[in-house]
Amino acid sequence: MKTLLHHETWTGTDVTIRDIERELQRLRSSSAASGSMHLRTSVLTHIAWVPREWRDAAEETLQGLAERHPSRTLILTPEPTGATGIDAELALRSFAAGQHAVYSEVISLTLRGATSLAPASIALPLLISDLPVFLRWRGRPDFGGRQWRQLVGVADRVVIDTSEWDELRPNELCREFEKTALSDIAWARTVEWRRVLAGTWPEIRDQEIRLAGPPAEAELLRGWLVARLERGVRAVAPAAEISVTLDGVPVTAPTMFAVTSSDRLSAELDRFARDPIYEAAVRATA
Amino acid sequence: MSAHAEENPLLEGLDLGRRPESCALVIFGASGDLTQRKLMPALYSLAIRGLLPEHFVVIGAARTPGTDDEFRAKMREAIEKYARDPFREDVWERLASGMRYAALDFSDETSENSLVRILSTVDAEYGTQGNRVFYFAVPPNAIATLVSELAARRAAEGWVRLIIEKPFGNDLASARSLNELIADRFSEREVYRIDHYLGKETVQNMLALRFANGIFEPIWNRQFVDHVQITVAESIGIEGRGSFYEHTGAIRDIFQNLLLQLVAITAMEPPSDFTADSVRNEKVKVLRSLQTPDPTSVVRGQYGRGFVEGIEVPGYREEDGVDPASMTDTYVAAKLYVDNWRWADTPFYVRMGKRLGRRETTVAIQFKRAPHPPFAEATSDSLRPNVLLIHVQPDEGMSLAIGAKVPGQGMSIRTVHMDFLYGSAFREGLPEAYERLILDAMLGDATLFTRSDEIEEQWALVDAITSAWERDRTAFPNYAAGTWGPPSADELLHRDGRSWRRH
Ligand SMILES: NC(=O)c1ccc[n+]([C@@H]2O[C@H](COP(=O)([O-])OP(=O)(O)OC[C@H]3O[C@@H](n4cnc5c(N)ncnc54)[C@H](OP(=O)(O)O)[C@@H]3O)[C@@H](O)[C@H]2O)c1
Repeated sequence: MKTLLHHETWTGTDVTIRDIERELQRLRSSSAASGSMHLRTSVLTHIAWVPREWRDAAEETLQGLAERHPSRTLILTPEPTGATGIDAELALRSFAAGQHAVYSEVISLTLRGATSLAPASIALPLLISDLPVFLRWRGRPDFGGRQWRQLVGVADRVVIDTSEWDELRPNELCREFEKTALSDIAWARTVEWRRVLAGTWPEIRDQEIRLAGPPAEAELLRGWLVARLERGVRAVAPAAEISVTLDGVPVTAPTMFAVTSSDRLSAELDRFARDPIYEAAVRATA
Repeated sequence: MSAHAEENPLLEGLDLGRRPESCALVIFGASGDLTQRKLMPALYSLAIRGLLPEHFVVIGAARTPGTDDEFRAKMREAIEKYARDPFREDVWERLASGMRYAALDFSDETSENSLVRILSTVDAEYGTQGNRVFYFAVPPNAIATLVSELAARRAAEGWVRLIIEKPFGNDLASARSLNELIADRFSEREVYRIDHYLGKETVQNMLALRFANGIFEPIWNRQFVDHVQITVAESIGIEGRGSFYEHTGAIRDIFQNLLLQLVAITAMEPPSDFTADSVRNEKVKVLRSLQTPDPTSVVRGQYGRGFVEGIEVPGYREEDGVDPASMTDTYVAAKLYVDNWRWADTPFYVRMGKRLGRRETTVAIQFKRAPHPPFAEATSDSLRPNVLLIHVQPDEGMSLAIGAKVPGQGMSIRTVHMDFLYGSAFREGLPEAYERLILDAMLGDATLFTRSDEIEEQWALVDAITSAWERDRTAFPNYAAGTWGPPSADELLHRDGRSWRRH
């Protein structure tokens, strides 16, 4: 873990975009003057749509992320019931990297009242030009809702985690594939199992496959087997951990190297194109 | 990938990562400094990232007696002390479970067979399938015996790779005879001559910078580049390795390998692809095009007493293990020319040495001045030519010096630097060079290793330079520790109306 060298914050209520830009500029100059930051190199803008109940989990993931993807993160928390206005909390963080610092900006905005319905118009002026935009949507989106539609419109890639949903909703997901490139962290969590199962080819083709595991991951794994092997696979049994048997014999679980949610998200932020294998797996679960 | 893999529908789109096939890594010289400080920490970092083969064992071999448990304890200590990642018991346990120690002397028949026995036992116990990586972390004079003995006991199954530490030979004749000895018994594809600098991210990034960006290549030639300066400076001395350095000097320690590699990577033509042979073919072409510098284009130096970082340090001739009248070079500067269409008449000024002002490895591409600056009065001395500076260490990254207007009235122009540091743009700490290189060797990717013809071209140039030294005897010491080398090195550039970069 890298050491946090420097942290500067500013908070304001009922702010405008101009206020935010001005305060960011001021924080940057003051940290440059204090000698703690010499340079800014960014690789992307990361928008996180984080309803109130997801705030803590999101904060933890971001802590781990900022030190690896030095970039601007925009955390948008909708509060549709409040009086219309924007509250902001800005943080400049720098982490030690060799003799220099990795730099990241976190702009947390609470969108109260009507502003919560127009998030893209707030995000757009705060994106770093010419760099890719990733949207991490916490919880289950309302695919028909204007907030989802708007933010997907400004993002190059959308990252979801279907294990945060009450159930995998393949039909709704499949409609989104045509509109944006989607990454699913639950799918990323199955990669070690997919590698292990790929190693059981060709026997697996004709064996009886039984899967148990947490609903999103196990269901995606089942969909993947159905799509790739072009055959039926029995419904999954719920369990805390994934397990697989082939003709009644348990498959040895892969070694899981400690991978945090920040690592998973970070890996998704390195991917740009659509993932046809994931899309086929989701379709197969429908 | 095999036909079998292509048919497997489960492999489609599945990123298998860069995970090597199961193998046993045998480290000769396991009781030595390199194993503790670099190799074991690198293996641990690969282990923590899940990059080691599924079935993997490490066998430490050296003449010093010892047991498996003693070896494990020593390696654990080395990891705790030198690894870049925090110590994790579970990762260590996994790595340590496949660790063995073999106390053996290869000039003695029985011990060779004991290694073969250990290897066949681990194949059976761990499923390493006869695949072997032999890492020669031993003094150069021990290599020939090891090569012959290993060849004689080659397993029937599996692949073999030899990783050979630098220095590879001592001059052209010795390098050639070692190459011949190896070529008789192993194929070039099985040989990985290591120079850890080539595993550094920045060195590889030079290739990315040059060949993945459309804006640099069109100006990367004699028409736009005034000259190139390459500096490999160390502030440390010889660190107690007097007897080694006496036979080596800066010319063999740095010039022969790292420095010439930096010249080759800076000057090479775009390879048609990024495979080991395409890249190495282009590098060899540069080495072949290097003119042998005449004696007036080479400066050698040796440091005397001086101050480094505020502390008084002894001169080279006062160091332990050094002849008080030693004529060994601790500094070399040279003006090189690459005789080809791209670089004709563009000097490459190179310098390297011990006990210099500070530690720095850089490649500086100095561009020609703007043909007619309309701000002549405003610029005076403060506007220097554009320089693209590539930092190899410390702080891997690059910076571009450009002229910019000073804010305010009038048209006053100053040189400013745009800096880019790797650590600031990408996730993860930079991997240690040894991690990359050991992994590449296990994967069978030789791009970052030196091929036999490259080594021979390098030594041919070194021999040409050193033979001239036998005729002239420079008065040593000729620079004080903590300075930037002898005055004659400055003159080398002043004669051409240029000067070394400011520090
Ligand atoms: N240390 C570094 O940072 C570094 C950097 C670049 C290159 N290198 C190169 O790596 C090699 C090893 O360097 P080192 O610093 O680790 O040296 P070292 O500390 O002196 O260790 C040498 C090792 O080789 C073994 N050895 C010595 N003579 C041998 C022989 N005749 N047959 C078999 N084994 C023998 C020694 O063990 P026993 O005496 O127990 O047999 C010891 O384990 C050298 O070629 C060096 O040039 C080292």
